[in-house]
Amino acid sequence: MFHLRRILALASNTVTQLLRMKVLFFLLAFCVLVVAAGFAFPAVSEAQQLKLLKDVSFGALQAFAVVMAIASTALLLPKDVEDRTLYTILAKPVPRIDYLLGKYLGVIALIAGGLILMDAAFSLVLYIKQTIVIKEAVDWFVHQQQGQADAAGIAAVTADLEKQGLTWSLHTAVWSIFLKAAVLTALALLISTIASSTLFTIITGFAFFVIGHGLGLFRDYFFQGGISRWDYALSAVLSILCPDLGLFDIVDPVLEGHVPSVMAMSTMTGFAVLYIVGYLTVAHLLFVEKEL
Amino acid sequence: MTAVEVKNLSKVFHRGLGQGFFTAVKDVSFTVAPGEVYGLIGPNGSGKSTTMKALLGLLAPTLGSTSIYGIDSRKVEARKAVGFLPENPYFYKHLTGLETMLFFGRLCGLGGKPLREHCVRLLEQTGLADAADRRLGGYSKGMLQRIGLAQALIHEPKLLVLDEPTAGVDPAGSRKIRDLILDCKQRGITVLVTSHLLEQIQEVCDRVGIMASGRMIKEGALKDLIAVDDQFEVLLQNTDAALEPQLREWLAQNYPNTQILRAGRPHTTLERLFLEVTESKSSD
Ligand SMILES: Nc1ncnc2c1ncn2[C@@H]1O[C@H](COP(=O)(O)OP(=O)(O)OP(=O)(O)O)[C@@H](O)[C@H]1O
Ligand SMILES: [Mg+2]
Repeated sequence: MFHLRRILALASNTVTQLLRMKVLFFLLAFCVLVVAAGFAFPAVSEAQQLKLLKDVSFGALQAFAVVMAIASTALLLPKDVEDRTLYTILAKPVPRIDYLLGKYLGVIALIAGGLILMDAAFSLVLYIKQTIVIKEAVDWFVHQQQGQADAAGIAAVTADLEKQGLTWSLHTAVWSIFLKAAVLTALALLISTIASSTLFTIITGFAFFVIGHGLGLFRDYFFQGGISRWDYALSAVLSILCPDLGLFDIVDPVLEGHVPSVMAMSTMTGFAVLYIVGYLTVAHLLFVEKEL
Repeated sequence: MTAVEVKNLSKVFHRGLGQGFFTAVKDVSFTVAPGEVYGLIGPNGSGKSTTMKALLGLLAPTLGSTSIYGIDSRKVEARKAVGFLPENPYFYKHLTGLETMLFFGRLCGLGGKPLREHCVRLLEQTGLADAADRRLGGYSKGMLQRIGLAQALIHEPKLLVLDEPTAGVDPAGSRKIRDLILDCKQRGITVLVTSHLLEQIQEVCDRVGIMASGRMIKEGALKDLIAVDDQFEVLLQNTDAALEPQLREWLAQNYPNTQILRAGRPHTTLERLFLEVTESKSSD
């Protein structure tokens, strides 16, 4: 009960801290970008216009989530140590795990809030765009058929474009971005318990981000000739040392219109939870021993 | 039960790769009884802050142990009864005075309307009522010190640990802090305090410990420490100006009307003692 109150106090403090660093300007910039992307390319085909809008928006969503996850986490803990704010906090009856969880949840909450807002703004723009584009396409189709357009033809044109428009599977892609960010946040928190500087945490965090994306490729390259037990072991070790971020890359297929299965989504979520629990546990073990 | 117990505390810092070790605190022991005001003094770098940090569980002792009301400092429960003001305190710049107080209150498991009222009261007591709605980024050094003190008192602790509470505070403010410490003492709160303002330590403390280069070199009740053994103080009334070595004899013979009002060991000031012991320490 008291734990919860403390963790919430720390988390909400983290959110206020980041908000007062004006990170929300990013969201504003995002909205401008999405609207611009939505209405700036009338030259390409209808389907391509929708695809472009989605590509640009998801690029921005990913950038927001990853940068927030690594940079803001890196700012928090080393800054508290440097500013000695940590002394006053830990001199209260605050277990160190509460402090870590509070920071983690604060960052996660901010990323989640940002993603929800961005998802909503993007969905709205996409829906408006889709309505306009479909109307144009149907008009064009009717015009082309010179009044002979049948209902089935119109439905086909509409359905084709709707597949490129707003679908539920787009939100699963946003969820995958959130999971990736949550894993990266836990990793950045772990790094920042060892690191003494913000810069080190940011650089190492991004290094892991890059390697994490290459992990799948690396594995494919080495394990071309069948998989032995040793290969499994090696790949397991690799996935523990560095998160296999390829697991969360469903954005591209989803944007092309694929719908991920419930099974795939839950596996992905399960992996994310495993990584998060693992990293936070190690972070805690390092942090309890930390000399201030 | 003692309020604070420091037993054979030693703290060794690693100086980074290949640079060896540094012993900041060497075999320091002392206790503070409940309700007592204990002053820890010593030159810069003598290990006072390190001792306090170990007591609060912020540093792990290399050797020895520390406890607060019988609970080992390394346990979280030990900190339930303690309010701590670190040296040069810094808080979150993005919070206002009141928000800072509410934040620390919540960390102590408090909440709701009573907490808010309590915070407002403490801000008034420390003279920050006007600044309560301003962000800490704009506070002056003395104001930060005061909010640090207010924050230390938020959960009505039984023990106050103050690391240089008057550093950077103006004379009037520092007198206020002294009064606040005396007020705490009156309410039965134990206080462990360090300061370089020895006059104030002398005014508020029951007992003092003097540290130099990581060791406790002198420790005891203030009035015993500043009593001087090999000297004699005579307080005379209706005297002539001249005072000579065989005063008593001479007095009895020549001035039978003069009475001795008080005779005993005179007190030096804590400051003089401090300089004496710490200088002899650094010269050997
Ligand atoms: N984290 C640390 N790593 C290495 N050395 C340290 C660390 N903290 C303190 N020291 C060293 O330990 C010694 C004692 O420091 P401490 O802060 O306890 O002194 P102090 O008595 O509080 O001095 P002051 O009166 O200046 O506040 C100093 O020489 C300091 O350099
Ligand atoms: Mg100090």
